[in-house]
Parts: sequence; structure tokens; C-alpha cells
Amino acid sequence: MVRKISLTVNGYRKTVEVKDNELLIDVLRDKLKIKGVKAACWRGECGLCTVLLNGEPVKSCLVLAVEVDGSEIVTVEGLSRDGELTPIQKAFIEHGALQCGFCTPAFVLASHQLLLENPNPTEEEIKEKLSGILCRCGTYYEIIEAIKSASKFYQKK
Amino acid sequence: MSFGSPYFTLPDFTYHKPKTLREALELLEKYGDEAKILAGGVGLIAFMKERLVSPSHVIDIKGIPELKKLEYRKGEGLVIGATVTFSELESYQVIREKYRALYQAVKLASDSIIRNRATLVGNICEAIPWVDGPPPLIAYGAEVEIKSLDKVRRVPVAEFIKGPVEIDLEPGEIVTSIHIPDVPSGARSGFVKFNVGSEFALVNLAAYLSLNKEKKDVRLVYGAISPKPVRALEAEKILSSEGDMRTLIISAAVKASEELEVISDVLASEDFRRHLIKILTMNLLTELVEGG
Repeated sequence: MVRKISLTVNGYRKTVEVKDNELLIDVLRDKLKIKGVKAACWRGECGLCTVLLNGEPVKSCLVLAVEVDGSEIVTVEGLSRDGELTPIQKAFIEHGALQCGFCTPAFVLASHQLLLENPNPTEEEIKEKLSGILCRCGTYYEIIEAIKSASKFYQKK
Repeated sequence: MSFGSPYFTLPDFTYHKPKTLREALELLEKYGDEAKILAGGVGLIAFMKERLVSPSHVIDIKGIPELKKLEYRKGEGLVIGATVTFSELESYQVIREKYRALYQAVKLASDSIIRNRATLVGNICEAIPWVDGPPPLIAYGAEVEIKSLDKVRRVPVAEFIKGPVEIDLEPGEIVTSIHIPDVPSGARSGFVKFNVGSEFALVNLAAYLSLNKEKKDVRLVYGAISPKPVRALEAEKILSSEGDMRTLIISAAVKASEELEVISDVLASEDFRRHLIKILTMNLLTELVEGG
């Protein structure tokens, strides 16, 4: 069955036609052309397709598009404001917290949300919150350092 | 449960999102075994990708208010509705304080992003032998509540899980909630698991100890070692007997590693699993008895 769903993506209201068996990841990437949502394992293990669904990180390869009717989605494209990167994005650049960069959108998004909720996380808390995302280049150390250094900007708010 | 490459797309189905339990039950009654329930989706959607299941109708129960129930009442215990996620359980204070084994299992299950979607009811309905939800529930003597259009029944979790991906649920029925009895003051519980490279346990263990003078109540429940979670009844008896607790713990751990039927598979041999049973049992019980 084909039906229309409405959702807010990165602040914009969108109405899309989707089939019942279509996945959120495919609708975001192929219909809305939001390519910051990466597709890799397709079964919820790597976490690269992570998006914020109503403020919560979820893996969009395990969510049906019809399930998010009326919801708010944020992807990495929705983080910067007026062309300025968020502190976490700047910290990733400063710390070289990436090699190939394929996992970066997911890590940036999940750590941004982590710092909004907990502006002063311990290393353990960072590891726990991000353990669902895999970086095959093994840049975890730099990622954790980037998050720690960005945390001061989130504390001010 | 195979680990082959998944399909990228899902089989065709019609999606339903009932607003009441009655509506959901009517849909289930109408479509029978062609229908599958969708809550968090981390199991169902993954299984559909593998073509392990291909339902023609998917019934999303997240719009049903009564299934969101998460409530503790003194003397009665804890009720966990079918759409309550692991993340919600993790931040529920009562579970952190009173139901330690469940809390620790929830914290160790999968990863925190999956836990934002995954539900505990879904976890036990999948009945995969190596998941972390069932052992603590069985240790607490929890029951599932099952509803259909014409009846309501309650089944202990220990009996509800019949084997790998096999549960006591008829077409037309839905698990609405889990009921965990209240824990008497002084009782202690905990959960440990051993896993390498994946969140799936090679052995996991939930222990519940209530060591009052009049009545000793001990339950040791092991997962991932056999087709369904099992209790080490002989080891429990040892712990309930009189004697120096440290000696009893060692005897019980050895007994548990010997008395149970243990599988051998590609992840771990039977011998290794028996070794893990002994070590995990010893560590967890020591922590429960000596720790605060």
C-alpha cells in the first residue's frame, strides 16, 4: 500500500509518498536525498544510519517510514546554524576524529545529542552511549577526545 | 537467526496502526498467523530482511496507550507494558534500586541506540537463546499477561519461552505486559554475562538471593547455554543449606557447571561454557553476598 506521510526533517515540513514496507533509511536517502544518513550493514549493527527521531538516536535501517508519520527527524545536515558548524563538528575537525569519514555523520549526531542531554559525560558514559556505532578505521580515541573537548561549549548553554 | 547477507528491502505487507487494544486484537483475530506485531522493530524488521518471517500484515502497537504502562506498586510489584523500551527501563528509578538483575541486564543488552527502540516484551517474544532479557525475569518469577478477544491468561516467563524462537502464544493472542512480583527487603539480585566481539552472550546469568533465617529463596538462571534459559536447581539447594557462605558459593558454582545440559557451538565449546558458568556464578554470588 502507498500512503502519504508528513514529517519534519531538519526543520522543514515534508510530505512523502511511501510504501508500507519502505524503510526510513531509504526514504531519507533516496526520496529526500539526505545522504548524510549512511547505509552500510542494513541490520542495525553498525549504526551508521543513525538519525535523531524526536530527539532520540535510532538506527533508521530498522525503522519503517510509515512509523515516523508526524515525527521530527534530525540528520547531520540539520546541525549547523547559518552556515556555522556546531562545537562538536569543529571538535571532530580539530582532533582529526575521522579517517575515511563514513561513520562521522552518525558519530557527530549521536555525540551532539549526548552532550545536549549530559554536557559533562565521563569517558565511560561516552563509550556506552556511542557503543552502537562502529568506526572501521578505529578512530575511537580521537572521537572520545573530540567529545570531551567540545563538552565545555555545551555546558555554557 | 542466520547470519547471511540480509536483503536490502522488506517483503510486501500491509501496515496497521490500531489506536486501541481491542482494535489490535480484532486485526489479529482477522489475519491470524499472517499477522505480526511490531513494537520496537529491531527484531521483526531484521527478521523480515533475512526472510525468516514474511507476514502479510504488520500491526504496529505503539499507538496503544495502555501498552505503555510502566508502574511499580509496593506489595504487588512491577508491570512492564509491551511497548516499554529498554531505555525507559534503564531510567526508571525503581528498577535501578530494587530490581538490580533486570537493571544490569538492560544496561548490557545490545547497545544504547538499539535500546531506544527495543522492548523487553519483544526481547522475550523473540525467544532467542542468547539474549539478556529472560534470565532476570525468570529469576524474579515474572509472568507474562496474554490477551485475545475472548480471554486473558498469565504464564510464567519460564514456561512462556518453549525453545529457540518458540513461545506459548496462539494466533490471535498478544503479550500485553510482564508482571514481576515485588522483591522483599533484604533480597539481592544481579546479572552478569560473558561475550566477546558481539553483544550476544556465550553465557549469561541472573541470580536472586533472599536469605532470611526462616525461608531461603535462591534462584540461578542461565541463558545462552541451552535452547532456553535454565535454572541450576541443585546449586540453588546448596546455597539454601546451612554453612559458611563462601564455601557454599564455591560448591554451588562447581555444581552448576556440572549439573546443566550445555550446548557446544561455533562460538564456544561445551567445556568452555562450563568453565564460564563456574566463574560467573562464583563472581556474581560473591559480589551479591559481600557487596553492600
